[in-house]
Amino acid sequence: MYLNRIIVKFGGQSGQGINSVGTILTKSLNRAGYYTFSNREYPSLIKGGFANYQIDISNSSINSSSKKTNILCCMSKNSLNQYITDVLPNGVVIYDAQTLELEPQEQEYVKENNIKILNIDSKEVAKQNNAPAIMANAVLAGLVWKILKQKIEILTDEVEEMFKDKNIDMEAEKACLLAGYNTPLYVENLSQSIDTEKLKRTSEKKITMTGNDGVSLGALAGGMRAFFGYPMTPATSIFKFLGESANESKIVVKQAENEITAIQMAIGAMYMGTRAMTATSGGGFDLMSETISCSGISETPLVIVLAQRIGAGTGVPTWTGSGDITAAVKTAHGDFPRCVIQISDAKSAFTLTQKAFNIADKYQLPVIILTEKQIAEGLFSIDSLPPIEKIERGLQQGENRYQITESGISPRWIPSQDEKPYLHTSDEHNEDGHSTENAQEVYEMSKKRDKKMNLLKDEIAEPEYFGSPKAKTVLVGSGNTKNPILDIITNNLSSEDIAYLHYEYIYPTKTEKLTKLAQEGKRIILVENNQTGQLGKLITEESGYQFNEKLLKYDGRPFFIEDILNYLEGKSI
Amino acid sequence: MSIDINMYSTNKQPTWCPGCGNFAIHVSLKKALMELNISPSQAFISFDIGCNGNGADTVNTYAFKGLHGRAIALATGAHIANRKYTVVADIGDGACFHEGIDHLINAIKSNYDMTILIHDNQNFALTTGQATVTTKQGKKMYALPEGKPERDIDINQLILSLQPTFFAKAYSGDPQQLTEIIKKGIEHKGCSVIQISQTCPTYNKECTPQWFNEHIIKLETLSQYNNSSLEDAQKLAKEMAQTGKIYTGIIHQHSNTPTFYDRLESRKDIQSELVDEVQEYDITQLLKYCN
Repeated sequence: MYLNRIIVKFGGQSGQGINSVGTILTKSLNRAGYYTFSNREYPSLIKGGFANYQIDISNSSINSSSKKTNILCCMSKNSLNQYITDVLPNGVVIYDAQTLELEPQEQEYVKENNIKILNIDSKEVAKQNNAPAIMANAVLAGLVWKILKQKIEILTDEVEEMFKDKNIDMEAEKACLLAGYNTPLYVENLSQSIDTEKLKRTSEKKITMTGNDGVSLGALAGGMRAFFGYPMTPATSIFKFLGESANESKIVVKQAENEITAIQMAIGAMYMGTRAMTATSGGGFDLMSETISCSGISETPLVIVLAQRIGAGTGVPTWTGSGDITAAVKTAHGDFPRCVIQISDAKSAFTLTQKAFNIADKYQLPVIILTEKQIAEGLFSIDSLPPIEKIERGLQQGENRYQITESGISPRWIPSQDEKPYLHTSDEHNEDGHSTENAQEVYEMSKKRDKKMNLLKDEIAEPEYFGSPKAKTVLVGSGNTKNPILDIITNNLSSEDIAYLHYEYIYPTKTEKLTKLAQEGKRIILVENNQTGQLGKLITEESGYQFNEKLLKYDGRPFFIEDILNYLEGKSI
Repeated sequence: MSIDINMYSTNKQPTWCPGCGNFAIHVSLKKALMELNISPSQAFISFDIGCNGNGADTVNTYAFKGLHGRAIALATGAHIANRKYTVVADIGDGACFHEGIDHLINAIKSNYDMTILIHDNQNFALTTGQATVTTKQGKKMYALPEGKPERDIDINQLILSLQPTFFAKAYSGDPQQLTEIIKKGIEHKGCSVIQISQTCPTYNKECTPQWFNEHIIKLETLSQYNNSSLEDAQKLAKEMAQTGKIYTGIIHQHSNTPTFYDRLESRKDIQSELVDEVQEYDITQLLKYCN
């Protein structure tokens, strides 16, 4: 079996319901007990353009996409041309039209690779079932479900549950699913190469969630009571989750007039002693940077999610990358302490968001949580979420809010009518919070704040090592880089024994483990979804260690499993 | 506990120029808090950057001196986190009408329950006298030897166009009236905007106390003025723009617009404040909101 998975890809235009058919199938597969990873690619426009949805299916936990596919289901000519040569030998192409015109080289590819082609006019089928044209995607879902040799009840049950509170004609929807499933166009040999038998599910129903769902749930579990947002892809769905669930979570969700307001509201709410958060992408983050600096000097806890997409400026708004690591670590003026954490999947999103709040509270500084489009909007399937972290706030009474202490951490208490009031200020200040220009006081207060970084560095975890200790090759990365590499290691997909060193805590930067591996003579490869190896630069800055080998990808696409394997085999990616 | 005015002051001395209107504004704010029986530990003041913000060191309440132009936005977050606090945003005309004009507009529209004090000295004073939108067109200012080229913005009309629930004008030279207005502003449930004309003897030499005395008319002297009528307020604003007069008092107030918080469905019937609710939450029931 190809990479220990079966891959289904839908292609078409924005507005054709590709996202919805992909989500229906993903959730149905998770309901059936399969593990999946689903990735959605779409243009920055509402109708038309070019969109696809890929579902990788496995019997063990997977978190990455492959480049190739077993079943390609195309709802536009454009997507057929784009993806047909990615279909694996003996694969299936479903083309949503009565006739199919292939280019000569495509015909050649189809013939050489024994690819089976099925034409179905799903809109016509929907019409015959008294359903609107938009339900054509349900016909395709039913057909793919059949090719995957799954029980129809699982699909219809899932759809019923998904749409139960929505204004949708369930009878028509179900009729379309069944019409696709039972279409006379289906022949047994379509499923021949689709080896679902080998993928026999081993356990219970899986939970389906995006990385942004994980962040939202983590924030709520960790006692976040206010969220201040402003739309920007790929952070926006955090806003959606928290807004749609607010009547149950009872938190305040506020769409601010801009990103500066959002982060200012967050810092004001944090000063008062609740837990608040904001989330944005690169451009919005730049606007927030002055407040991050203010949080640093005023020692006001702050938590910001920076959901990365590729490129400077507006970049490529709906595509992935991890090119904002440097921005997260270095943005904003002045010297001040901060913490930067990078999540890699739904589970780590859940746990690290809670830890971010604990760090912000205890160390009284800004914490930036990095995610990226591939994680933020990718659908992960998990058995369960990790246990909830204990809340730690480090609150204590004191005489002076900015008391100089050995650890660098000053007493902080929640404003209360029974307690002594205090001033937080973005001016440099003395121990009682009043502004100062005195050289000794300026020096001492700045030094006090810097001390917190030593303590924080002691607390945070070393990067985690995955794979055999004997492996001669060690890949190093952070964020989504982990997912294809770990899928390779766990499923023994590489001919060579490899290991992976994963950074969750980006800043302060721990380097002992890495330099030790380098000293042992391992082949170290830096793997990053950006142009300049930004994590690598931080490690070099901290340790002096220079990476000789770097695998960098910055075309808006994530690392596919094949990219890593090809690189290890010395081929171009 | 009995409250006296000294409790609102730290041991720091103000750094303002002699004759600065800020002295009276901050004294009036402290007096208003005292007379309303709001202790230093029950108030939160969000100071902006500028001469007014330099008073932060002298005021003893919970406070945050944040970033230029952002006092209102920060105050909003504080208010949402704990509505038991009396929240005041203390900001100058430069910060409020330039860097942070969006915050003023949205605070009024959202009707957050807080009070905004605008110290209007008609210039950026701390950076030594640059023009603001309230500086008269043609007036020679820092780096403008030929005078400010732009037209003025009619702040009264701007604010009134947003249908504020409380808009007052006051003068630093009349601290008694100012104190009363601040008290009314704090007591008002909703966003109270108080624009305070103030003296700036260093960078606004034209507007002397005498000048203000010649231009200011107290609203209470008008026999027929209904401040609950937005139309009347707009007529008054027009008159101010045409004549250069400044009316002081509550220009407009109405109470039939709910506050932002009161409109939140998610907080309906909840008595606690967000600051009281930080704890671990079981999120099992929320899994259904996943994508």
